[in-house]
Amino acid sequence: MSLLTAVMDHGLDEGYAEAAAARGDGRASRVPTTRRGLATLGLGLALVGVVLTIGAVNAHDAQPALAKERDALVHRVTDTAGAADRLQQQVQELRRKVESTQQQALQAAGGGGLADLAGAVGTGEVSGPGIRLVLEDAAGTGAGGNVDPRQADGFENSGRLRDRDLQLVVNGLWQAGAEAVSVNGQRLTALSAIRAAGEAVLVDNRPLVPPYTVLAVGDGPKLGPAFESGVAGHYLHLLQDSYGIKFSLSVQSKVTLPAAVGVTLRTAQPVPSAPATSPAAAPEVPAATGSAAGPSGTPGTGPSPSASSPGAHPSATKPSGSKTTSSNSPRATGSSPTATAGSTSAGTRSN
Amino acid sequence: MIAVLGLVIGVVVGLFVQPEVPDAVVPYLPIAVVAALDAVFGGVRAMLDGIFDDKVFVVSFLSNVVVAALIVFLGDQLGVGSQLSTGVVVVLGIRIFSNAAAIRRHVFRA
Repeated sequence: MSLLTAVMDHGLDEGYAEAAAARGDGRASRVPTTRRGLATLGLGLALVGVVLTIGAVNAHDAQPALAKERDALVHRVTDTAGAADRLQQQVQELRRKVESTQQQALQAAGGGGLADLAGAVGTGEVSGPGIRLVLEDAAGTGAGGNVDPRQADGFENSGRLRDRDLQLVVNGLWQAGAEAVSVNGQRLTALSAIRAAGEAVLVDNRPLVPPYTVLAVGDGPKLGPAFESGVAGHYLHLLQDSYGIKFSLSVQSKVTLPAAVGVTLRTAQPVPSAPATSPAAAPEVPAATGSAAGPSGTPGTGPSPSASSPGAHPSATKPSGSKTTSSNSPRATGSSPTATAGSTSAGTRSN
Repeated sequence: MIAVLGLVIGVVVGLFVQPEVPDAVVPYLPIAVVAALDAVFGGVRAMLDGIFDDKVFVVSFLSNVVVAALIVFLGDQLGVGSQLSTGVVVVLGIRIFSNAAAIRRHVFRA
């Protein structure tokens, strides 16, 4: 307690009283009058001012730690986001560069450029004169969704168009000189498969719903008759006569085929010398500079068109294992890989 | 006059020089501030009591700051730094309050 009372009672420094007693005059001056006294007082007050100001400035500078940390985090977030943006821009720039380099290389090689190759290979949209072939199941076969699954018996119902029929039609179109073919909006490439699952016809594993609309780009006035007079045309006539499967062929002045989706280039390497079988190819075609488009490589932008193009002969290996490196365009040989890929039908029907 | 000038000079120096406070000294800054305030209030009260002495004022200010800092430093070395600094602030705060009360009595006669 004595400590506390001492603190409470002796608020004033005892030095003042002692100094006053030492001076001996009961009535001391309130402020120093001598020059030296004033200087000392000024010095003392200056020191006080310095200490107080430094304290205030320091306290002002030292914001709460939480706010500081938060600021640091915000800075880091913005910095990293900016870096990511820059990288994204870089990616886009490089992608553009790759594309233009490909374009240049292909043009220098004497080809028609990337757009032409993409159209030929199937990774680019194409449009031009062509024919439109509509195939429809025979009446009364329960087209669409109103098939009773209990009574549906696959392709035993002979009024239905089968995957094999569609394969034959498509191959007939290639043979007749079609440059690009699509079935119900699905572009066919060298890797496309037409097959059956249950009683649905699949193109590239996507089920089709009748009627089947086959679009083909080619020399329309020639393509139509060539197709009808070919094997496939006769076959279709036979189907129509025997089973009632309807088909209609019309020559169009302009058809537009979409680009194929999901075509990914995995590996590609340029062939050092010009192959003798390809007149369009030039020596030293540096096609497909990128070794691989990403897993989500968009068709038409990646190096895939040039890889399997007829002009540039790189050996491209697709993940499915099917070699596409004959690298003849489908129309050049007439035997498209579609035929080999899609002949897995379990149904039997004697024609 | 010189006193006010000294205070102003001190504030201006503190503001414009903005001395870089070393990290080792930062913990003692609050204590120094409180000690300075205590010295100022004590000086004002002594002035009103009519027993002001400039030498005592300066020396008491300096010694207050140094002793307070030393106490806190010692506490830091012994692991009770924050408690000791609290104690210093409490004691000096009580002195500031009692001096302020004396000043009030002088000024307002109440």
